[in-house]
Amino acid sequence: MVYISSWDEFAERSIQLFRADPQSSRYVMKYRHCDGKLVLKVTDNRECLKFKTDQAQDARKMEKLNNIFFTLMARGPDVDISEVSGKEQSEAQPTKKGRGRKQ
Amino acid sequence: MVGSLAQPTHLPPYFKLRKVSSKSAREREREPSLFAFAMVLLQPDPFLNELTSMYERTTERGSVWVTLKRSSMKSKAKRNKMTSAGETIEYRCLVRATDGKKTISTVLSAKDHLRFQASYATILKAHMSALKKRERRDKKKAGDGQTKQEDLKKPPKKSSS
Repeated sequence: MVYISSWDEFAERSIQLFRADPQSSRYVMKYRHCDGKLVLKVTDNRECLKFKTDQAQDARKMEKLNNIFFTLMARGPDVDISEVSGKEQSEAQPTKKGRGRKQ
Repeated sequence: MVGSLAQPTHLPPYFKLRKVSSKSAREREREPSLFAFAMVLLQPDPFLNELTSMYERTTERGSVWVTLKRSSMKSKAKRNKMTSAGETIEYRCLVRATDGKKTISTVLSAKDHLRFQASYATILKAHMSALKKRERRDKKKAGDGQTKQEDLKKPPKKSSS
């Protein structure tokens, strides 16, 4: 398991991963205050995507990903997330890809 | 964790042994207790309160994990029974949080996830203060405008993948 260094790649692939198998995927956020570290993990028990940061600006991006995952999990994986706040980074591309894989 | 001196009678005997041990409160707090395996299912608002105090407790040491998962809160056997009976299984968003000692959880329906995610974001913003701010201080605080500078630093790699 390696950390993904690019945020966009992490966000895109984690949404894809979730949509491919919504029932066994989970999204974990670990925050360690004393070291000032934040680790995000998305896994379906077969594949694991991780992202590590110590930057406050990434926390802002994470907030947007949080909202996407809240929406996906509470409303269902087929819901349109393009208008979920903070979607401006990866536009509609992951949406399209996720759907393609599902079919 | 059990504050009162009166011995609770409903607890199993091995629990009583722990209580009379000579360890300091701090040592006892560090070792995994039986409570670590008992997940408490809370309503969204008490969950957020508990999460807040979890973040406050772990400022000097320790981490907090928050897990989001799509779940029906039903056993696999029950799910199988429902599918064969042709019932639709309702899935919700299960949120779990732990500091390694205590686990709390809540379930969000499609109705209350928006309100929850807003409060959750506020809590995170308030407690993730140990993360580094950007070095460049040339920009004013105005909106903390992150997008412009970032786009310059790392060009989007959308087409490459």
